[in-house]
Amino acid sequence: MNLNPMEQFAVKPIFGMDKPLLQIAGHPIYFTNQAVLMVIVAVVSSLFLTLAVKPNRLVPTRGQSMAEMSYEFVAGMIHSATGEDGLKFFPFVFTLFIFVLCCNFFGMVPGSFTVTSQIAVTFALAALVIGLVIVTGFMKHGIGFLKLFVPHAPWYLLILLIPIEVISFLTRPISLSVRLFANMLAGHTMLAVFGGFVVALGSAGGILSVLSVAPMLLIVAIMLLELLVAFLQAYVFAILTCIYLNEALHLHDHH
Amino acid sequence: MVRPPSTRREGRFCAVFWDFWETDLTAPDPDRLNDLGKRLDELKTRQGARTQGPPPGQSSIAFRFATELVAALVVGGGLGWGIDWLFGHFGFHTRPAFIIVFFVLGAAAGIRNVMRAAHEINAEIEAKRASGDGNGKETGS
Repeated sequence: MNLNPMEQFAVKPIFGMDKPLLQIAGHPIYFTNQAVLMVIVAVVSSLFLTLAVKPNRLVPTRGQSMAEMSYEFVAGMIHSATGEDGLKFFPFVFTLFIFVLCCNFFGMVPGSFTVTSQIAVTFALAALVIGLVIVTGFMKHGIGFLKLFVPHAPWYLLILLIPIEVISFLTRPISLSVRLFANMLAGHTMLAVFGGFVVALGSAGGILSVLSVAPMLLIVAIMLLELLVAFLQAYVFAILTCIYLNEALHLHDHH
Repeated sequence: MVRPPSTRREGRFCAVFWDFWETDLTAPDPDRLNDLGKRLDELKTRQGARTQGPPPGQSSIAFRFATELVAALVVGGGLGWGIDWLFGHFGFHTRPAFIIVFFVLGAAAGIRNVMRAAHEINAEIEAKRASGDGNGKETGS
């Protein structure tokens, strides 16, 4: 019996694939449980979204309705955060949102693996976002993008304020990735801890076995809360992407 | 928004899968469709911006502020450490100086981040309240 609540986050090669898939610069690359889940998420979400709109009904089916609602949700989000010209980033933000959302939801399936509880994954996603922000900013404004780091202030304060703004900008990928990672990690650890209570109480015997119903009920409540968190964190990730893209597109316009 | 009904039934990926997703609808009656469209538009204008996403909860706001603050400290300290390392590489021994300076700058950046995050959250709540006031009576919420 394994009651270690952190065991669920272990990245390991999947069963029957103990040999590295390939070697890159001497580092063995394994096909891990994390990779399996990411492949499943990518395949299932893209298959679902493409097939769901295939019937193209006037009165949508359940699947088509879900696909259209997620489309409108993300489009509305981008429009409200960045305005009209932000909509050309729709494919990127939509893919990001659906990927994070599906990773969070697939992680909720008992026995599966939560990809977004790995800081490596969330930081890679956040680095992608910030990379896109920097590239967009320099493509749109050229060297003028650096004005993002220059607030309106007298010159003698700028000596102090520019480093602060630069550090503040560099903070973004970290806070973006840590927020998603920590939320998923905390929630799933909590679930595993209460699951451990159920097992421990249930095997204690006598009146204690009956008491094991209490943490069981609590798990149901936490599970519901986690479903909310799973959606909320995907939403926060996407809306912050939009806010950062907005700053790259419009610099200080909105202040 | 509203698309003409599809008549294409070939090229299905998996018929069984689609039988599950499609409720069996016969050719739609135009009058009923118009009526449905009208009712949907009505609902949409009434609901307004309510579909724009969930309101931020207390704990998610608190968590956001905490990560912004701590991340700025980490980045500031890390930058200072890196600069010291770089100078040390060229033979200048500045070791604690830049770590101290950038740690303080990082703290300032953290507070700047929190202020900015508070601004964003305020704007979000304000926007929601504005859209809520306009049609609060009709939705009864």
